[in-house]
Amino acid sequence: MTPIVWTYIIYIALSIPLTIWVAHTLHKNGRIFLIDSFRGNERLADSVNHLLVVGFYLINIGYVALALKECIAPTDVREVLETISRKIGVVMLVLGAMHFFNILVFSKMRRRALLLAVPPPIPPQAHVSVATQ
Amino acid sequence: MKCLYVLFDADCELCVRCRNWLAQQQAFVPLVFIAFQSDEAQRRFPGIDALKPGEQLLVISDEGAVYRGAHAWIMCLWALENYREHARRLAHPALLPLAKAVCELLSRNRFFLSDVVDAYQMFTRLSAGRTIAEPSGTLNAF
Repeated sequence: MTPIVWTYIIYIALSIPLTIWVAHTLHKNGRIFLIDSFRGNERLADSVNHLLVVGFYLINIGYVALALKECIAPTDVREVLETISRKIGVVMLVLGAMHFFNILVFSKMRRRALLLAVPPPIPPQAHVSVATQ
Repeated sequence: MKCLYVLFDADCELCVRCRNWLAQQQAFVPLVFIAFQSDEAQRRFPGIDALKPGEQLLVISDEGAVYRGAHAWIMCLWALENYREHARRLAHPALLPLAKAVCELLSRNRFFLSDVVDAYQMFTRLSAGRTIAEPSGTLNAF
């Protein structure tokens, strides 16, 4: 096998488990956030959590697949390591960006849910009767 | 609380603009706008005149809780998705007197401010008309 094929194999072998690990972390720890956002509705939280993780997998594995091709073929071990390092670095940055984006979505959902439950900040000054139409 | 009735002054340009702005915002609690001069206001809230709706903005909940002036504005902000936190901040005892002073000042001068808004609108419309008219004038000169 040529060095470029080894590069591809190592790249895939590293980036796919990395994606699975990040998705698993997101799935496990995002659940608590989502249950709080959906006011204790665990089924809805689990459903949204699952959908988010599916989206996360599709985007990241899609990116890993698209970024596989390397135009300049490495000739020795040093170049193989450099190429893998660069490619994995970019995948990690993409994963990091996606991870923070997901956290942002979770916290926005939670913030909205918390705000929804806030009672009026001031008491009424008077009371009137309201006629029903 | 199912909705908040906002009793605004339909004769005041500034109030109508504020009403339009409020109507465009996304709300946690729906806002229902009723001009205090309308028959609907009298029909829905019998004896509303005792609350002097012409003096300051009035907000009434569907349960009959009444909020006036700065309190009414705070309730409007509280009803909106993007401004609920601001409402909490404004309702703090440190900021509430300032909010009340600003609302009273605006309410007292709302017709003057409406005239200013009208004048500005007329000025922008006139200057826009002049910019459109100028190229045709240049063509006529040739």
